[in-house]
Amino acid sequence: MNRQEYDVIIIGGGITGAGTARDCSLRGLKVLLIERKDIADGATGRNHGLLHSGARYAVTDSESARECIEENMILKKIARHCVDDTTGFFISLPEDDLSFQATFVERCRQAGITAEIIDPKEALRLEPAANPALIGAVRVPDGSVDPFRLTSSNLVDARLHGTDVLLYTEVTGFIIENGTVVGVMTLDTRSGEKGEYRGRITVNAAGIWGHGIAALAGVNVGMFPAKGALLIFAHRVADIVLNRCRKPANADILVPGETVSIIGTTSTRIPFEECDHMQVTPEEVNLLVSEGAKLAPVLESTRILRAYAGVRPLVASDSDPSGRSISRGIVLLDHETRDGLKGFVTITGGKLMTYRLMAEKATDLVCQKLGIDAKCVTRTTPLPGSESSSIEEAAGKIWASPTTAQKATVGRLGDNAGLIPMDDAYSQSLVCECEEVTVGEVNSAIKHLNVNNLVDIRRRTRVGMGTCQGELCGCRAAGLLARAHGCTRKARGDLKHFMRERWKGMYPIAWGDTLREGEYSQWVYSEVLGLNEE
Amino acid sequence: MRYDTIIVGGGLAGLVCGLRLQQSGKKTAIVSAGQNAMHFSSGAFGLLSRLEDGTPVDEPLTAIDRLSGEHPYSKIGSERMSVLVREVKPFFEAAGIPLTGDESRNSYIITPTGNYKKVWLALDDMTLLGGSDSKIGDKILIVNFKGYLDFNTAFIAEGLEKRGMKCRIESVELPEMERLRSNSTEMRSVNIARVLDGGDAWKHFVASVNRMITDEDTVILPAVFGFADGSLIRSIREGVRVKTVFIGTMPPSVPGIRSQMRLKKAYELSGGTILLGDQANSPVFDGDRLVSLGTVNMEEVRLEADNFVIATGSFFSRGLWATPEKVLEPLLGLDVISSESRDGWYDEDFFSPQGYIGFGVRTDNGFHPMRGGRPMENVFAIGSLLGGCNSVKMGCGAGVAIMTALEVANTISSSR
Repeated sequence: MNRQEYDVIIIGGGITGAGTARDCSLRGLKVLLIERKDIADGATGRNHGLLHSGARYAVTDSESARECIEENMILKKIARHCVDDTTGFFISLPEDDLSFQATFVERCRQAGITAEIIDPKEALRLEPAANPALIGAVRVPDGSVDPFRLTSSNLVDARLHGTDVLLYTEVTGFIIENGTVVGVMTLDTRSGEKGEYRGRITVNAAGIWGHGIAALAGVNVGMFPAKGALLIFAHRVADIVLNRCRKPANADILVPGETVSIIGTTSTRIPFEECDHMQVTPEEVNLLVSEGAKLAPVLESTRILRAYAGVRPLVASDSDPSGRSISRGIVLLDHETRDGLKGFVTITGGKLMTYRLMAEKATDLVCQKLGIDAKCVTRTTPLPGSESSSIEEAAGKIWASPTTAQKATVGRLGDNAGLIPMDDAYSQSLVCECEEVTVGEVNSAIKHLNVNNLVDIRRRTRVGMGTCQGELCGCRAAGLLARAHGCTRKARGDLKHFMRERWKGMYPIAWGDTLREGEYSQWVYSEVLGLNEE
Repeated sequence: MRYDTIIVGGGLAGLVCGLRLQQSGKKTAIVSAGQNAMHFSSGAFGLLSRLEDGTPVDEPLTAIDRLSGEHPYSKIGSERMSVLVREVKPFFEAAGIPLTGDESRNSYIITPTGNYKKVWLALDDMTLLGGSDSKIGDKILIVNFKGYLDFNTAFIAEGLEKRGMKCRIESVELPEMERLRSNSTEMRSVNIARVLDGGDAWKHFVASVNRMITDEDTVILPAVFGFADGSLIRSIREGVRVKTVFIGTMPPSVPGIRSQMRLKKAYELSGGTILLGDQANSPVFDGDRLVSLGTVNMEEVRLEADNFVIATGSFFSRGLWATPEKVLEPLLGLDVISSESRDGWYDEDFFSPQGYIGFGVRTDNGFHPMRGGRPMENVFAIGSLLGGCNSVKMGCGAGVAIMTALEVANTISSSR
């Protein structure tokens, strides 16, 4: 039994929970964050990784557009090491109505988004991968953001400011006294150990799973799971984010992310039971490829690395619980005023892009309830890793002449790269050749970033995210994990889990080179290693 | 250019078939793209370790009659199989690839993750064991090169300790490896093997290992010795003062590449021609006969032959190719055994048998591949290109390559 009382208990280790934990702890609150799996395991880690300029919403949802551009500019400063400032194009194709472009540009400008019409020829010169049939292009400040790194950095800072983090821990119930939530009951899913933690306020930041969390507290939040499928392509086919200049539709955003490209997404309502077992269907794959090829024709012949899907937490308006009218923006529910349940707050809706604003709003409410007068500082305080003004500056502080692998590490970790042992040859050995991840970086993640298994390492370091998808580096990282945790049997189980997870993303698109890679893995893991027999 | 037989594919099946045909006096050429599955072999060959229904097999030859008719071994027949099986060790020995193991019984090999895997014969670097719990010693010293990540000592130790052996792990830092270590991508099996092949590095290594041994009766080393010259294996075994056992590494496989190079050399010494780094294309047919092939590198030249052997491998080597809709044999457009819908291609669990592994070219009982439903008269398909068996599930990949290669070579050399 844990006797310590926290000011705030936050449920959910996605970007919203991590951001809220950081904001609360920066305002001096004692925070406990509880996540049932790993950080960024839900919708946070299963989207485009698009740093929206807000342009996508300019015509349909001006409030979201304004929020996006404001947060876009903030993240480019405070989360520099998580952001790739690529810019983005909204292209019009012959079948699109070019008159939409004028409205689009006008609305962008109204929302404060720089939107510049460029000549189709110039657009193709700047981004040769774009569809050569394009008849119009508008440049906007889109970019890409690494959601894993962003979440991890928020949590690193939260922990530096006293936040306790429990991963692989499920909330199984609430402790409610006199109509007030005063704590939670938990289950450690690895050890089976039960726990109780007391907190003055509990924040439900569990994304789509927040529906079930609210139900545990006896209140109803009307959510609708909307599945979005995406595909990762094996190359960075375009250096600029490509969107279609029309009303938002399926598969109309292509985002460059490190060495790969991501196309998405679809939108399908699914039952709650499917949220934990999503599969990408052949129809979704076909749609993503054919629509994606309209943005960048080369996608038609580019190898697909993975298919995956996330669940957006759509929230029904309280005035219309049928779900026909959906709130697209940030939803902050004070269950005291709404349901008469004190000490409980839900923060949901919103987007990866607006996580900081969601955290600010939730923390404002928490502070107000606790009677604490503390100002939000996350608009201007850089995340750990983004203190230096550029990757070059950060790398220069650590090494006289950084190697490619060291620059890649700084790209991932910013100033934190200095914490990674790189002085001896062993630490500099590459675990993952596709993504240039070193032994030092993997060991550092294991030591400092709450790593439980190989998939956790992948999220934190990108080991196994490149073209080979981890069949060799997974095994190398398993060896390092076995040594660090002193438990080989677990590392062995992790390796199998890692390969299973990898195959889940491969089989929906396993033809051509992906099937070749799959066969090679079968030979290595079954014929050479014999792991299929145990 | 005209040959008696043209073989497309320079992997295990193609080389065995080519060498056997040369030995019988035929003039042959092999079109080979370069890399093949032998480059990541485990150092061991499987003949048959499970039946189609998953029943474990200990004596492969006695189980041939229990296989389905589509399995290549059924097409050869158990009687012929018994004859061919006895030819394997002498054949490889003559090519400079001594093999260890009992032809009539399966043995076990320790894998790079410390698992015991059922195999048939192995390259003589490797140590075969009688049972799934057999010990290689009581006290084991596992030695690795510092910074070499593809030899997972912790996993091996765990696998052995589970079977009652006591393990200790050490690593050696050789000055000769300094250059490799200073470049973060260089500590890989083939580079290490090259360093050990030249000069005295291996002697320094042996001396370090001997200093590390305390009360251990057995030393385990990564199988990265003797890339160019297999005799280094013997020198190491003689130099280390206790019993030495080599265990395979993650790919690429040094013993696998060495045996592929040996086989290729034996083929060339026997007078065979290898068109290396080339790819066959543009077939010309005359009814059910293949008349000639072109290649990518030789624009004007046509390859003509009485017989053609297609040993282009499965998906990995591009002998088969999958589109989202279907599985093809891209060179000749041969008929393929596969399931109609993609649902039948895969199992969602990576570690369960995968349907696509069993896909491949359909043949008659003489390994003439079918094209448009009719067998091709002067064409043979061998090795992992063949359909009808899930080689990963059944542990018959190398066996099918070797047996179908020998069988087809015998058929061709005894005709006319």
